[in-house]
Amino acid sequence: MTTIENIKILKGKERKEILDSIKTQFGIEKFNGTLLQRGKERIFLYEGNFDEEDLKKLEKITFIERAGIYLGKLEDHKMRLSIEGSQILKNEIKKNIVELDDQEKEIWMMGHEILKKTGLNGFIIMKYKEDLLGTGKASEEKITNFIPKSRRLRDRSIEK
Amino acid sequence: MKERKIPEPKPLFVERIKKLLTEKEDLEEYWKIVKIEPVNSIRVNTLKITPKKLKEKLESYGWVLNFPWKDHPEIFVVLGKNPTGKENEILINESLSKLEPGELGRSLEHLLGYYYIQELSSMLPIIALDPKEKESHLDLCASPGSKTTQAGAKMKNTGNIIANEISMGRMRILASNLERCGITNTIITKKEGRDLCKNFENENIKFDKILVDAPCSGEGTLRSSPKTYLMWNLNSIKSLSKLQKQLLKNAFLNLKIGGEIVYSTCTHAPEENEEVVNFILNEFEDQIEIIDFKLPVKTRPGLTKWGEKIFKEKVKLSKRVYPQDNNTEGFFLAKFRRIK
Repeated sequence: MTTIENIKILKGKERKEILDSIKTQFGIEKFNGTLLQRGKERIFLYEGNFDEEDLKKLEKITFIERAGIYLGKLEDHKMRLSIEGSQILKNEIKKNIVELDDQEKEIWMMGHEILKKTGLNGFIIMKYKEDLLGTGKASEEKITNFIPKSRRLRDRSIEK
Repeated sequence: MKERKIPEPKPLFVERIKKLLTEKEDLEEYWKIVKIEPVNSIRVNTLKITPKKLKEKLESYGWVLNFPWKDHPEIFVVLGKNPTGKENEILINESLSKLEPGELGRSLEHLLGYYYIQELSSMLPIIALDPKEKESHLDLCASPGSKTTQAGAKMKNTGNIIANEISMGRMRILASNLERCGITNTIITKKEGRDLCKNFENENIKFDKILVDAPCSGEGTLRSSPKTYLMWNLNSIKSLSKLQKQLLKNAFLNLKIGGEIVYSTCTHAPEENEEVVNFILNEFEDQIEIIDFKLPVKTRPGLTKWGEKIFKEKVKLSKRVYPQDNNTEGFFLAKFRRIK
């Protein structure tokens, strides 16, 4: 583990924990890029060619706000992938995928939970045709929504 | 295209534009087009989707698209949409209606980061700079991220981009756009641009490509931002010119030998354009060359004279983009290479 002011580069055991988690949850075998952590649970993916030394050198001369993009959140040792996380890992995700129909996709992207029995439990990848729509949390009868407000479709029923 | 009511331009601004556009018809065309809203243009985020697939998706909403630049299939103009007969619909003509306000930014495809809403002329600096895979790239004044995301896509998320922004508020917008577009090769820094460049120089950190899309008086953005008419004044042009010279000078020193830098503004003011180009050519006389480049729009050469000021002949290699020439906003670009 290496810490720059507000970013921790995950290596060894900590990186392995994330990789094991996404392998168990979604069947992801191949993963490239540097994993970074901000705060207790927010995980970022950086795929540029700056290594640890470069980042440290950079930190000496300027404040680094972030490197790469938000990949997901680590909750109880399980990863809740962001929309981008699900899209970037699209070709590697093999399991715990729930396919939505047209109406469900609208409901999901408006930020609502979906009442649906999936037979799954825990974090699942939401998919509509070829589009990956982030992660939901499946329980017996519903899927909890985590789409951030800024990424939601307009809900005209609320506006009226 | 309907004309809008816009604030009255200040007399000095009118006078200066008249000096820049000396032909009557040209000047009339200018004043006509700046009263008209700019076209809706988008850039496909090729990291996430192909232009062909996005075209199919957007056309399924009834959107009518146009592809203005044949060598850049990722750039679309959204002309409007097929009329639906709804009550509050605004028709452009019999077969075309206007998109609803904000509709372009509210589609599923936009929310998923499949495209970036970007004015056509604002796409030109990265076309000019042409960042390549595995290069190191510095975007000195990066927010809101249109050009950083464009560079990230061209570099296919390889190499490295440092996207700098001084304002915390604008940096959040930058971060959110980089995230939505899935740009994973970028590090966001927060520092005053001139100081950051000095620090890079001290640490001997060098770049293959640098973009200085400098803060400017925004004369070219009158179509999308008519409030610029009210804020415009000569004093800010003069102080911006000083800042721009320092930014470009400090940034140039961060280039590798053989590295390239694009200086751009969205203004027509020669103090912020040719004067800055002339300054940098004088400052680094034997270390710098100004280079020609191709753009997919009609451009006019940089000026060699403005009032009493005479600029080097080579300043002509910089490019002026006028709104009336291409139905875009106005822009200015110059490209340099470090040779020593």
